[in-house]
Amino acid sequence: MPSLHKLPLPLWLLLLTLPCIGQAAKVDLPASEWGLEQGDNCVSCHQKASNSLHQQWQQSTHAAAGVNCFDCHQADKDDTDAHEHEGEVIATIVSPKDCGRCHTKEAEEAKNSIHSQALALMVERTGATEEALESAGCTSCHGGRVEAAIDGTVSSGNWPNAGIGRINPDGSRGSCSACHGRHLFSKAQARDPAACSSCHSGSESPDSEIYQQSRHGVLLQSQREAMNFGSDSWITGKDYSATATCVTCHMGEAPGLNPTHDVGMRDAWSLNGPVSEKQSLVIFANGSRRDLPLSHPSPRKGEALAMIGGEEATIQAIASPNLRRKAMRKVCLECHSSSFADRFFHQFDQQIEAYNQRFGIPGKAIMDDLYRQNRLTPTPFDEPLEKIWWQIWHDLGVSMRHGAAMSSLSHTFSDGLHAIEKRFYGAFLPEVRAVAGDEGESLIERHLQSGSSPTLPTYGMVPAATSTIDSNNE
Amino acid sequence: MSSPFNILFITRNVLIALVIGGFGGMGFILFLIEFDHHTSSEEFCTTCHSMELVALPYRQSSHYNPESGVRASCGDCHVSEGVLMATWDHTMGSKDLFKQLFSSVDYDDPVENLLHLPQAAFAAREWFRARQSSTCSRCHTLEAIMGDRPAIAQIHREESGGKSCVDCHINLVHRPVPSRKTFNQERWNRMVEEEFNLATGEAAKRLAP
Repeated sequence: MPSLHKLPLPLWLLLLTLPCIGQAAKVDLPASEWGLEQGDNCVSCHQKASNSLHQQWQQSTHAAAGVNCFDCHQADKDDTDAHEHEGEVIATIVSPKDCGRCHTKEAEEAKNSIHSQALALMVERTGATEEALESAGCTSCHGGRVEAAIDGTVSSGNWPNAGIGRINPDGSRGSCSACHGRHLFSKAQARDPAACSSCHSGSESPDSEIYQQSRHGVLLQSQREAMNFGSDSWITGKDYSATATCVTCHMGEAPGLNPTHDVGMRDAWSLNGPVSEKQSLVIFANGSRRDLPLSHPSPRKGEALAMIGGEEATIQAIASPNLRRKAMRKVCLECHSSSFADRFFHQFDQQIEAYNQRFGIPGKAIMDDLYRQNRLTPTPFDEPLEKIWWQIWHDLGVSMRHGAAMSSLSHTFSDGLHAIEKRFYGAFLPEVRAVAGDEGESLIERHLQSGSSPTLPTYGMVPAATSTIDSNNE
Repeated sequence: MSSPFNILFITRNVLIALVIGGFGGMGFILFLIEFDHHTSSEEFCTTCHSMELVALPYRQSSHYNPESGVRASCGDCHVSEGVLMATWDHTMGSKDLFKQLFSSVDYDDPVENLLHLPQAAFAAREWFRARQSSTCSRCHTLEAIMGDRPAIAQIHREESGGKSCVDCHINLVHRPVPSRKTFNQERWNRMVEEEFNLATGEAAKRLAP
């Protein structure tokens, strides 16, 4: 079967929307290729040396199917972390390459997803080195480069690491165990939003908190039993219908929609920069993928474009933001009417636009001007204004926009747009005036459409209001 | 009348020869014991600079600095017990001395030393394997191994059949070298080149006959 990325665009689109009959992809590898006899003798020692791991494995679907330690821990003798153990060549780290021997489809999708490229993407966005990111703690979630010593022992400071964009000693990238707890590999565990929360929580990525306060998250608290998390097949509207979890919308299977391990595939907006943009998904001929904001000149199929990491590759297909949204909308339709879904997306878009127009775009333009005028040094975060701006677009702004995406009202409004507004008018603009001196007022006026007196925001919820409020009147 | 000694053809000269031979033999055995003892010491082994390079990681290891203060010297691990086997090991080991003196390889040079270390490690592991790691048992008694978790004692009792220490425990003392199965010469060469700031390919060039 040809791998997904080699399909031409029309076929790819078809696949995206094709009513699908299956559940999780079945393992194509013939049964003679697992349950290898080299793994027969591991248990005898390891039920003494590491009985908890042994017990987890024993309760797993893997054990029931006859998959043993060696099947996953075997290594190529030239892998840098390969070492001899009881006469067999093994590695401690089971990488996506290892999991992909059986779970080909999932590994391939994950490999090309934004998740697996989390480290490279961060290097690209911040311009920081991997070492700097490691010492700042970023690699614990984004994944670090794990290297092995000459004798195959895993030596780098990055280990232990289950960051999702981990670069593994065997050269592969990603970490299945970021979501799938090792040795038990429980379906239920990976489908539970708690699986996402170890990284997607806190000020950097408060999705866990946002989800918990969203309509869907509130439902989950009382309907957990009805979610059928452990079911073999897990199709929205068929195997469960009580609520939606992270997996449901971002990866899950619904009638007419294939499940995917490319977790960002259905994201029509970029919500993590100073200014949000609709984004296309570029699929390269080599299988790699990247998001491309609409402001970028639209490339065509066959042209070369830089992948995440900078290397150029030929474009195989481009999925528009509309197509991406169409995929996610299919999930909604299992519980909501199409007009309900359309209205939700309309509100979501309006709320993002409100953020962009009122804070993101003017704020970024003001900051760009201040850098250009050398009123700010190029060094990031060495001036108070930079920290305030970071709080606005990153801490508050990201939380607000993710809140809008997930319908968490408090994150969108009270702790979102309203909090940003207070920070923007109460701290950011006064600091701009302080930094820019005499030119501060004209700089602000140039970029702020509504001047210093903001229009009451509509956020797409009510007809445009005509009254204005004083910025101090909050 | 002939003396009873004459019946046994033991003349005075034979008697003298026997006494001298006896003392000589005893002296020789004593010499071997002293010789084996002295040549098993760290002090003797490291008179060759090449061995000093090998001893550096040893002095950082738990075999040199255990909490108990029981320090294993070179010969405790690398020379068999008993004067005959010890002498045999020293005799066979003398080929290293010949190599040190007459080989075209300069083992005193840290680069050359490191490049040839894997072969030395493989040979040493074979040596241990051939003797069922007998020198380890000078200090370590399988039945007495407790470890810090009950599983460690249990595994040593129940899972060690047909194995000797070196089958599981390598890279304890000297600079780590992969097992023969996973050894990759290219990777080793790259490591040496990086460590000594050598041009790429320099290691392979130096190893070429």
